[in-house]
Amino acid sequence: MMNTLKISFAVLKPPTRYLPSSNSVISQKLHSPSSSPSVKPPTISPLGRGKSGGSRVYSTFAARTNFKVNCYSNMAEPNSDLKQGDVTVKDDRIARISSSIRVIPDFPKPGIMFQDITTMLLDPVAFKDTIDLFVERYKEKNISVVAGVEARGFIFGPPIALAIGAKFVPMRKPNKLPGAVISEEYSLEYGTDIMEMHVGAVQAGERTLVIDDLIATGGTLVAAINLLERVGANVVECACVIELPDLKGRDKLGGKPLFVLVN
Amino acid sequence: MFAEENGLHGDPRIKAISDAIRVVPHFPKPGIMFQDITTLLLDQKAFKYTVDIFVDRYRDKKISVVAGVEARGFIFGPPIALAIGAKFVPLRKPKKLPGEVISESYVLEYGTDCLEMHVGAVQPGESVLIVDDLVATGGTLSAAIRLLERVGAEVIECACVIGLPQVKGNWRLNGVPLYVLVEPRLTDLECSL
Repeated sequence: MMNTLKISFAVLKPPTRYLPSSNSVISQKLHSPSSSPSVKPPTISPLGRGKSGGSRVYSTFAARTNFKVNCYSNMAEPNSDLKQGDVTVKDDRIARISSSIRVIPDFPKPGIMFQDITTMLLDPVAFKDTIDLFVERYKEKNISVVAGVEARGFIFGPPIALAIGAKFVPMRKPNKLPGAVISEEYSLEYGTDIMEMHVGAVQAGERTLVIDDLIATGGTLVAAINLLERVGANVVECACVIELPDLKGRDKLGGKPLFVLVN
Repeated sequence: MFAEENGLHGDPRIKAISDAIRVVPHFPKPGIMFQDITTLLLDQKAFKYTVDIFVDRYRDKKISVVAGVEARGFIFGPPIALAIGAKFVPLRKPKKLPGEVISESYVLEYGTDCLEMHVGAVQPGESVLIVDDLVATGGTLSAAIRLLERVGAEVIECACVIGLPQVKGNWRLNGVPLYVLVEPRLTDLECSL
């Protein structure tokens, strides 16, 4: 008779033919939350991009089960000097952030699964963790400008800017910014749009971040990068909460690194 | 009420905030002296003072929701929400919020506009702070108050960086108190940008 072990979390059971005949314990790795993962997290410079593969399923799995798993998608580790235990703590934060984001099907049009960050903003811990993860990455990196793309970039950019002692520069739709602006046209799926930045907001040589809630095709971020480079700024990195990797926006950023928390 | 008349008289931070705001004449149309807060956001100290003054005022008021009016309310609301441990709820122009929303329309100088909030974002009985960069006629803030009251929330106060003179004598909107840091300046003696 098989001893069945009561498993209280949702997990993919291995096919029964692989189970030892005396019990139905699932593999040791899945069974012990405190065991070290079999793959070491990548050690890369703080502003480099993560090279390891991974998938979002780990973060939602962790969220459902309170598992501490390594969740490092294709993103850079916030701080490569951290010990294993600290990385585990950060993974909890990412799991919570990921599970706090709501998906709305068929918005704004059929076929699009809209990633709604407003539910994350309703969870003060998840929202704070999101900001903290960015701040930990960028403080003491001599970033003097955080550029946020209207409108959801306005939610994440200012708290980061305040925490790292940088200016916040809004990148806006046309005709919103008063006074002298520079404009950059960019492509949409159908047609084009325009992004504007104030003349004089950013000086040549300033180290800048570009922040938005999500990267899809990358068109918006490219427009922001172009605006900043046109005034001679140094765009150090683009940072988003969410990446839609299938749209390959990451590859369209002209070589600029991208840091994301979930995808 | 203005911050200066409400415990912050002589606080040098108020002058720093006021000085950091740029006046752009005749925007968006002739006759309007536009109070541009983007220069405040370029002054790290003054931006921090702004948030700190609001946080000091609201941290012990058991506020569970900070509602920010699109788009400049999205700049000031979240840092306050994060510091006081409240939820941040965006109040948006029509058709931006996905999923189920409630809408409130309000009157503009010519025509009307509409503000939307997610259903379920705010629960009945929650204490709410509404944040925007500037209050002029109070039309937008009144619509925001109505949205929140429709879901049974209690709006404790509306907080704005700048308050135009027409609200000076009318410190309550629909019975909700208004707290403002600075008055608009009429002109820039020198342009900071």
